Amino acid sequence: MDFIAAGFVKAVKLLVSGDISTWTAVFATLKVSTCSMLLSLGAGLPCGFVLGYFDFRGKNHVRTILDTMLALPTVFIGLAVYAFISRQGPLGSMGLLFTLTGIAAGQTILAFPIVAAITASTIEGIDEDLKLTLTSLGAGRRDIIATCLWEVRFGILAAAVTAYGRVLTEVGISMMVGGNIKYHTRTITTAIALETNKGLFADGIALGIVLIFIAFAVNLSLSFLRKQ
Amino acid sequence: MKNQIPAYRLTHIRHYYGDTKVLDIDRLDIGTGSITGLIGPNGSGKTTLLKLLAFADRPCSGIIMYKGKRAEPFSPLIRSKVTLLTQKPYLLRRSVFDNIAYGLKIRQNTENIESEIKTALSAVGLSYRKFAHRRHHELSGGEAQRVALAARLVLKPEVLLLDEPVASVDLKSAQLIRQAAIAARETWGTTLVIASHDLAWLSSICDTQISIFKGRIFNAGMENIITGPFEYKHPGTTVKMLENGQAIRLKAPADKKTASFALIKKSHIKLTSEKRPCTTGSGHINTLQGRITSMLLEKKTGYITAGIAVSNISFVVRLTPEKIHTMNLYPGKKIVLEFSPGHAVWF
Repeated sequence: MDFIAAGFVKAVKLLVSGDISTWTAVFATLKVSTCSMLLSLGAGLPCGFVLGYFDFRGKNHVRTILDTMLALPTVFIGLAVYAFISRQGPLGSMGLLFTLTGIAAGQTILAFPIVAAITASTIEGIDEDLKLTLTSLGAGRRDIIATCLWEVRFGILAAAVTAYGRVLTEVGISMMVGGNIKYHTRTITTAIALETNKGLFADGIALGIVLIFIAFAVNLSLSFLRKQ
Repeated sequence: MKNQIPAYRLTHIRHYYGDTKVLDIDRLDIGTGSITGLIGPNGSGKTTLLKLLAFADRPCSGIIMYKGKRAEPFSPLIRSKVTLLTQKPYLLRRSVFDNIAYGLKIRQNTENIESEIKTALSAVGLSYRKFAHRRHHELSGGEAQRVALAARLVLKPEVLLLDEPVASVDLKSAQLIRQAAIAARETWGTTLVIASHDLAWLSSICDTQISIFKGRIFNAGMENIITGPFEYKHPGTTVKMLENGQAIRLKAPADKKTASFALIKKSHIKLTSEKRPCTTGSGHINTLQGRITSMLLEKKTGYITAGIAVSNISFVVRLTPEKIHTMNLYPGKKIVLEFSPGHAVWF
């Protein structure tokens, strides 16, 4: 048990002293996760809304595909993205392999179905009386859509937080697509995996603390927004 | 002359949910500035009709004319003029103030918004100071209903449709809702259509009542509906057996397969104090023993509608005050109803 306690003490020292390898992994994680979240929200929210609000032919099939994508293993996404962006792959010329952009692309694929599926479920759950009430208060189609989205804003935020949690904690994509290159594509999770393998628990714990702190900060913000 | 154009004219309205026909209205006029009561059992089509009148839904077939012009959902002709208060009012997840202000903001009518909201809240008996900044979840059922009504009243609507507005509120709230609805008609000439099971409350507010059963409209208000099962023992007649052993004999429908219920107009039912033989010189007469359960004064005509329970069926009869006096009728009194089997109209 001593090594765990010692690990905590050293972790605090590493963070406070501004250890470069620790903080570059933190910044790399924040960069790729923010980028992938922006992309997945940009694509997932409209898709989820369309899927939840409108009825169209083939909707159930799209929903089934989306739900299947929820269970995609990160290593599979990593493999697929690797295949596409490696030199022999169709997007090889873009030079995305072992870059943060490549990781962000993979993480977008991971987060997109989560955002879209939870948004669709949230929109589907809108009380029919809400639409009727808005219509009867004289709202036009745009007003109805805007008000419906506002009414379920916490459900949509929950979709974003869930996706962020998944992106933040994944290892497979970052490892396979990023290559875990120190000071470059090493993220918190790949660093933890590596440091633990090397027996450097303190570094692993330090990064773990940062990871938990980010997750806590995100949930705290959500809770604050809810109270507003 | 303007008032001669009805607020609504519905012609040949047919509406389905899947394969089930829920509305079948050949013609219905609702006068401008009138207060019309809509009565009928659960599932009879009241809410569906109100949704069509609110232009929140489109009939499968038929035409709805609003003030002489054909109207469709979201058309500028009716948007912001017709408003519906649903049975279970939905309040937006915001303050009472913002809920009431929503419709005004949609109309970009934000001038004097605070005083408009104060007036609307006061019309439903709620204090602005106490309620305006409460959140939607800090209201009781009756308060939520009144806030929802205030959100409609603030719009000064041409038509206000109320679906079971007093179904889950106390007596005081019911009175306040009644006063607010009447004030809307008196102040802005609002046309009201109100669906309610509370016949006493409805009678105290409505000019006219129409009843609806299985999607069909009966303009003379509440009528006597007799539903199956029916027994076809003798040619030309059908019998409905009641739980207490009494039987109602009716003229058989032309098509037994399509007929689902019979209607006996209340004007065809007579009341007597004593039971007479079922067969008279003019043939069989139904004589049924029942008990008076309610008496409602029709505000406009002065007639009294008496509800009479005959076993498991409830009949209604329209009586003059003189008749009530002569026969010494009162709720709880045993009475005999008479009507001819030939008066049955099948649907």
